[in-house]
Amino acid sequence: MIICPNCRHEEISGAIFCSECGALLEGISGLTTQNIPPTPPNQIAEAMEEEAQKAQETPYLEADVSLCVVDTGQIIPLDEREEFTLGRSAEGQPILPDIDLAPYRAYENGVSRLHASIKKQGRQLTATDLGSVNGTRLNGQKIPPHKPCPLNHADILTLGKLKIQILIRR
Amino acid sequence: MSEIFNYYNLLGIPFDATDEEIRTAYRDTARRVHPDTSQDPDTAERFIQVQKAYEVLSNPDQRSNYDLTLPAVFTKPPVLLSTLFSRSSLQRTAEPQLMYVLLKLSANSESSKHTSPPLNVCLVIDRSTSMQGVVMDTVKNTAIELVRRLRPEDIISVISFSDKADVIVPAGTNQDRAKVENSIHMLNPGGGTEIFKGLEKGFAEVKRYRTPKAVNHIILITDGRTYGDEPACEVLAEQAAHMKIGISSLGIGGKWNDVFLDRLATKTGGSSMYISKPRDVEILLKEKFRGLGDCFADRAFLKFEVNPGVELRYAFRLQPETSMLDINSPVQLGAIHQGTNLEVLFEMFVHPISSEKGLLNLVKGRLFFDILHRADPQYSMRLDITRPTSNDPDPMPPPRSIVQAMSQLTLYRMQERARQDVAKGNIKEATRRLQFLATNLLSQGQRDLARTVLGEAANIQQNSSFSEDGEKRIKYGTRALLLPPSKEEKGS
Repeated sequence: MIICPNCRHEEISGAIFCSECGALLEGISGLTTQNIPPTPPNQIAEAMEEEAQKAQETPYLEADVSLCVVDTGQIIPLDEREEFTLGRSAEGQPILPDIDLAPYRAYENGVSRLHASIKKQGRQLTATDLGSVNGTRLNGQKIPPHKPCPLNHADILTLGKLKIQILIRR
Repeated sequence: MSEIFNYYNLLGIPFDATDEEIRTAYRDTARRVHPDTSQDPDTAERFIQVQKAYEVLSNPDQRSNYDLTLPAVFTKPPVLLSTLFSRSSLQRTAEPQLMYVLLKLSANSESSKHTSPPLNVCLVIDRSTSMQGVVMDTVKNTAIELVRRLRPEDIISVISFSDKADVIVPAGTNQDRAKVENSIHMLNPGGGTEIFKGLEKGFAEVKRYRTPKAVNHIILITDGRTYGDEPACEVLAEQAAHMKIGISSLGIGGKWNDVFLDRLATKTGGSSMYISKPRDVEILLKEKFRGLGDCFADRAFLKFEVNPGVELRYAFRLQPETSMLDINSPVQLGAIHQGTNLEVLFEMFVHPISSEKGLLNLVKGRLFFDILHRADPQYSMRLDITRPTSNDPDPMPPPRSIVQAMSQLTLYRMQERARQDVAKGNIKEATRRLQFLATNLLSQGQRDLARTVLGEAANIQQNSSFSEDGEKRIKYGTRALLLPPSKEEKGS
């Protein structure tokens, strides 16, 4: 038996999510990057208000940064966090990047499992190479590992051979 | 391949047959061709061959030597199967436990370069009065566009129905496409909705030209609820599955019965889609056609037996088209598309395990497919789901793909349960569930869907029922979350 940490509902062992409230059950946490623990129901109204406010203000560098995979045209929005790691997931590997590039032929393009990170700092957006095997280029220039480099709208970041364009909407 | 003679064909067994299957097949075949029971003069010869076949195949060494002499077309599986488990082992405890199994079936890469299979498709179009206007025009224009794209080997038929059904375009080879277009163009709405009449005629058209090498499919486009003939439709769906004809539906607006159309899809391996805006008719219908044209293997189904200590609780197809699946054997799985895995998630409930046995077999079965480009399309492979047992729980977290699929499937099931609650009159329960669902959706950034869910939560408190439109938007909205994100943007 597993007790849901969020709503105290009892689940059969082996369950992964609470069938009552949808929360990720204990012992599995830290595994996914997308799952933010759910807010209790009484905060829904607040959350809704917040959402509405957000929509009105549209603050710079909140939800307005996205990545565009150049080859496929796929847009990956970067929101709700300040720092994102980019890389590719591999079956059976515990390392999980925030942005998994595996669906965009990351392996063939020589993307490391943890390749680079993108950070929002106030009005600044930076990219850092995380010591990847095949290196990271910013607009064609190789950037030194572990050193943040400022990013601008329409910059092209190349991980291995995978090209990603930075899109900043003002 | 049936033209090539080998011991497996002689006994009528697949290449990966178990020793037991070989034994049973041998006994049956030997009895049939025994010189004492058969009048055929060739049987003595056949009987000796069958003996020889059994001798070789029942001996593992001789069998593997023999296998090496067979041509690759026969030995190389056209479909690759991979299985992922939420836990690598089962725990021996006095408590029940759950095990999630993710099946991934894909076209074997080297054999996947083949042209699209011929289509044998019937459009069954609702022409009830409510379809009038933009919806009907979009349906007609899209249908005409699709007809123009067909290749000479494809067969299309079109049925329109209201309280009665008419064959607008009969199935046939060498169709005059200009005439087909004209007939579709002439469609005029009017009348009620009786789905069975339409399906029956559509079924007859597809049946006439069905072959195991074609994609035989009925696409139902409707916006209304049919009254009283649902059971007849379901019987027809079962017949269709038996004859290897799939049924998919496009439901427009909020009035149609999604539970019913889902059942038709589940019974035949097809899919059901929800259309909220008339414009989406075009997108989804084209997508459906593209999917049919991408078929590598069609009519996949699983015949199985579960261990008495195990129950299959839930089965869901994650891709290519998300759909509920049957939990009773045989389970219709649908098609394997080129370049896209067929992925199915099973939830198994395992009763307490007391025995000290090292391995526990959960499911024993066989997967069947029609590999459309093959001379002999029928192919099957074994599916054995066996897990080791241990005294301690598996410390490893479940594979990421299972966790990710379950995170979304859990939301879909919360929606299902909320509907069940409402049906039973448990409004409080349903409201609570919807609030939880909305919270989860918000945290995933699904604001619009969360808003719809909260709107419905308010709705059921007032009216003790969902709004027809909202109910479907939530169902198909949560279902769409299961689709891989890369799919949406691809387009043409």
